[in-house]
Amino acid sequence: MMDEQNLTVLLVDDEPIGIKVLERTLKKEGYHVIIAHDGPEARILASQYQPDLILLDIIMPGEDGFEVIQRLKEDPRTVHIPVIFLTGKDGLDSKMTGFDLGAVDYITKPFHGQEVLARVRLHLKLSLATNSLISSQAEKLRQIKDAQASMLVAPDDLPGARFGVYYQTLLEAGGDFYDVLQISDEIYGYFVADVSGHDIATSYITSAVKALLNQNCIPIYQPAESMRMINNVLEEILQEGKYLTACYARLNRKSETMSLINCGHPPAVYIPQNGEIELIHLKGDVLGAFRDVFFELREIHVQKGDRFFIYSDGLIERPGDKNVWTEGMNDLLKACRELRDIPIMDSAVRLRDMMHETTTAFEDDIVVLGIEV
Amino acid sequence: MDITVLSERLGLEEDEFLELVELFVETGASDLGQLEVAVQEKNVEEVVKSSHSIKGASGNLGFTEIFEAAKAVELNARQNSLDGATEAVDAIKEHLDRIAKKISGQTG
Repeated sequence: MMDEQNLTVLLVDDEPIGIKVLERTLKKEGYHVIIAHDGPEARILASQYQPDLILLDIIMPGEDGFEVIQRLKEDPRTVHIPVIFLTGKDGLDSKMTGFDLGAVDYITKPFHGQEVLARVRLHLKLSLATNSLISSQAEKLRQIKDAQASMLVAPDDLPGARFGVYYQTLLEAGGDFYDVLQISDEIYGYFVADVSGHDIATSYITSAVKALLNQNCIPIYQPAESMRMINNVLEEILQEGKYLTACYARLNRKSETMSLINCGHPPAVYIPQNGEIELIHLKGDVLGAFRDVFFELREIHVQKGDRFFIYSDGLIERPGDKNVWTEGMNDLLKACRELRDIPIMDSAVRLRDMMHETTTAFEDDIVVLGIEV
Repeated sequence: MDITVLSERLGLEEDEFLELVELFVETGASDLGQLEVAVQEKNVEEVVKSSHSIKGASGNLGFTEIFEAAKAVELNARQNSLDGATEAVDAIKEHLDRIAKKISGQTG
């Protein structure tokens, strides 16, 4: 599409001679030209063919040029396409209106071929430069996102772990992270973390944490020891001010014991087969900020069918209400109660959907991990 | 009317330009017919419409006299006045005839 040999210009005018003149002029310079005779047709062609530039007449019957550009700018598929207005009007008012609505330039009728070509060339160059800058930046982030995605374990990869997951990152490089590890035959570790900040450095940290989990979540270490080891390495490698909150759950299906550690993270939800749902509040320091950390351990004797949800704060946060989780917590408990009969594999996505009804705007990454004994 | 100058101004070859002028003579004659009727019937709305078409097409090809005449009719009609419209129609007709003759000589 960005092949300079084949740049496409969409011409929008209801006047046939004007269209022909511009079409000839542009084609001679090697542009690919598509034509619309009114506003609605223009909008359809614009989103369908993604032209590199639009020349738009202002005065047209029905939808006029101002209305067309407004709609083009509202549509995510066409918002980026530069629009030059064609106008017989030379009044300053209509020019300002056009610029306010997002036009990049004006060409006043009657046309002068060289002027048209010069303006078209100028704005195509600007647009190409901007797009290549954006795409090279986005490409870098996409590579990281791909790397992150390939690090994430899918429920099918580890069926013995019996978990379901929902994972959404807001930006190309997300700060949320989860992992599920097999520690021994019947013992699995489940880990959800939220890295402070949202930059590229954040995603390098998640790769580091993944490696650290593999090294330290092993049978000889108790959960608190694993987290302490990870903390000490992170404390060495993280730049100042960087840290992560996390929840680590280790489930031994043989001894029917769930061990939970919380590192400054929102409380896990415990949903026993028989009994009341409980939020597992535990004291614990964040990871990576300082050396001498303390983690409270909670061991729960579980039975088959008991469930746990660990998640990141994006699930319970309200827009503009970053620190108060009370209301979100109540919704969360209510949703968990209703989800008892949903298969665990689907439960995390369903839980996110149910929370979505109450927390309308997502301002953060979200991870939800559901575990079944 | 200097075909070489006009086509150069638009960045077109002469034969391309003449092709468009032919098109203009056809559509212009039809628009002018409508304008004439509208003026006679004092249908201001139709006058605006047809004079606007003529203005656009002639402007796009650089036929300044027709452009100015049509523009004056359109502006007046937008103010609900048909003053000078009949004279303008005649002037446009004359110019259009001259153009038609000229290109029939060139292309014929």
